[in-house]
Amino acid sequence: MSRIKAGLSMLVFVLVVSLFSAAALAQNVHITVLNSKGEIQAQLEEIAAYYSSITEGVTVEVAAVPVGQSPFERATALYASGNAPALLMVDAGDVLLFQDRALALNDEKWVADAIENSLDMATAADGRILAFPVTVEGYGFIYNKAVIEQALGGTFDPKTINTRQALRELLDKIEASGTASLVIGPEDWSLGAHFFALAYATQSPDFAEIKKFQEGLKNGEVKLADNAQVNGLLDTFDLMKEYNYDRMDPLASTYDRGTELIGTGEVAVWFQGNWTWPQIKDFAAGNDQFGFLPVPISDNPADYGNTQVPVGVTKYFILDGEQNSPAQQQAAKDFLNWLVYDPEGQKRMVIDASIIPAFKNITITPEDPLAASLLEYVREGRTLNFVLNLPPDHWAQVGASMQKYLADFVDRAGLLAEVEAYWRGL
Amino acid sequence: MERVLASEKKFVDKLKTYLLFAGPTTLVFATVIILPFLFGIYLTFTNWDGLSKAYVFVSFSNYQKVLQDAAFWTSFLRTVKYVFYTVVLVNSLGFALAYALTGNKVLGQNLLRTGFFVPNLIGGIILGLVWRFIFSNVLVYLGRTLNIGFLSYSWLANPTKALWTLVIVSVWQYSGYMMIIFIAGLSNIPRELIEAATIDGATGFQRLRTIILPLMVPAFIVTVFLTIQRGFMVYDVNLALTNGGPFKTTELISMFVYEKAFLAQQYGVGQAQAFLLFVLVAAISLTQVYFTKKLEVEA
Repeated sequence: MSRIKAGLSMLVFVLVVSLFSAAALAQNVHITVLNSKGEIQAQLEEIAAYYSSITEGVTVEVAAVPVGQSPFERATALYASGNAPALLMVDAGDVLLFQDRALALNDEKWVADAIENSLDMATAADGRILAFPVTVEGYGFIYNKAVIEQALGGTFDPKTINTRQALRELLDKIEASGTASLVIGPEDWSLGAHFFALAYATQSPDFAEIKKFQEGLKNGEVKLADNAQVNGLLDTFDLMKEYNYDRMDPLASTYDRGTELIGTGEVAVWFQGNWTWPQIKDFAAGNDQFGFLPVPISDNPADYGNTQVPVGVTKYFILDGEQNSPAQQQAAKDFLNWLVYDPEGQKRMVIDASIIPAFKNITITPEDPLAASLLEYVREGRTLNFVLNLPPDHWAQVGASMQKYLADFVDRAGLLAEVEAYWRGL
Repeated sequence: MERVLASEKKFVDKLKTYLLFAGPTTLVFATVIILPFLFGIYLTFTNWDGLSKAYVFVSFSNYQKVLQDAAFWTSFLRTVKYVFYTVVLVNSLGFALAYALTGNKVLGQNLLRTGFFVPNLIGGIILGLVWRFIFSNVLVYLGRTLNIGFLSYSWLANPTKALWTLVIVSVWQYSGYMMIIFIAGLSNIPRELIEAATIDGATGFQRLRTIILPLMVPAFIVTVFLTIQRGFMVYDVNLALTNGGPFKTTELISMFVYEKAFLAQQYGVGQAQAFLLFVLVAAISLTQVYFTKKLEVEA
């Protein structure tokens, strides 16, 4: 009896819900965009509101992934509740997990205009293009130009920092001028997903070689202790530890404090990415002279990695092909095209939201100095692979091992043993 | 025949009454607790990643992985340690507060009771963020300006001290709540017993040990059960205060399970861990209730 009742009430509920949504669809196509870049939530909401106002019968709404939740986890919850957004901004490494749910986008115009390799992470084994590249990001040593030039007593050419020795001399000079030279952010994601990922990226410019290296780690053939790049990278990390502003209490610092230290110029160099600009800007008091230095891994300027910074497409839009109606899917496609081809869309994405676009046809340059610095590296061809195919918990596990190394709870052999054990245990 | 019909009618009547009063609750309980629980157990036998439509049945291999996962057991033992210290400290402090704040001895008694209870009304996330500020900024500032060695460095960044920050915050959060339960228990102790003992010449400590504590066992059963169960399930304070750091030395079991399911995208293994955790916690709590019930006495 109660089962029949439950069944009936469920049925009524479903009918009512579908009636409502059908009624809503008749007048207006409503699509939701799931945003996983918290730092541009306000800008995206403005873009959505503007786009809704210029298009007849289409409303775009932006939902945020809650702080502390991963975009993938949020997506699983939304799919499980039958409530998937039309566009989901997900991490590059998660795109292929959406194979069963995403709409193939091979026929879209922007596919031809996407920059080289930007669709690699979004292409399934069967050739379907599953996602739209949202933003290009990169990282390295962020430097505060004013502080460095004051220490040097002259102009600073970032290209002179192409060896570990050159970096050491620069840090010495900054210290000598009475300013703190460098700070290491102890966040596991920064140390695991970005810093240690340089060990993979510097293996080869060829991504296939990097994958081979990772395979070697999985089956235990690669020994990290014998690897020149890995040791070189950790030698540089030792140097960073030596000059670290927080060396007395290396794990106590926070991300927010890092943005403040570099923004106000209390510290000259910080290892981070271009996504930090909105926060740095708040502390920089109008100063916009910031840029990136590569992380050198040896004393030979010709070595791969000493003059390059990692750059890659970190976020993609999945277009849901399952729980949104054809009208909603079309509206989502139109919205993406507007972002790529409409001058207003381009401007709002690049200038307002500080996004480095992944499309060749967009010629506007972002106003934020970190993005501009990255673009310079891209245009000069001085880039490394931003290794984004790492296992989903790599950042947390390897990040924790790097934190131990940072705080001297483990030596280099111990660190490398932990990283090797992580890969073998996959 | 008639009797059968009568009993049938009686049953239908009973069912009607049941459905009228408990029907909605039963339905809600079944749909949000029982069904997900059963579905969760089903998922422990699959290799689902949380999203994909294609997943296969892997029989007991997820359980095998959990049993062999040293990190899972390390985290579990760490949680046991945390639970042990919080249970002891919360209950002793809660009882001490209750004992001090009953009987008309203390000025501003009600105000104090309210004050001690308030932390329990603050959500775990906010509480964690507030205490994070205290541990990493306020205490460090005090330590450095007053030259107190053990406060000069953030406890949250220290792998041996960070777990204690969790214990401290939990004790602060729950003592007031347990105090309320103890106050209720204390006011149920018959006054004539205490008076008789006093007339017989029992000292305050003797009264406490031989009369009050034995009569408070029912209250202790409840408070110890609550603290054990909350201790094992803690997540919000863990997330907001330490986020498992430094380097996973404060990652308690709930957070470990959560990360396995949602971060490592091994939903099946995560579910298996969660189910195992359920069994372990149920076993521990029931054993506790069974043994403490034996300590109950009649007045």
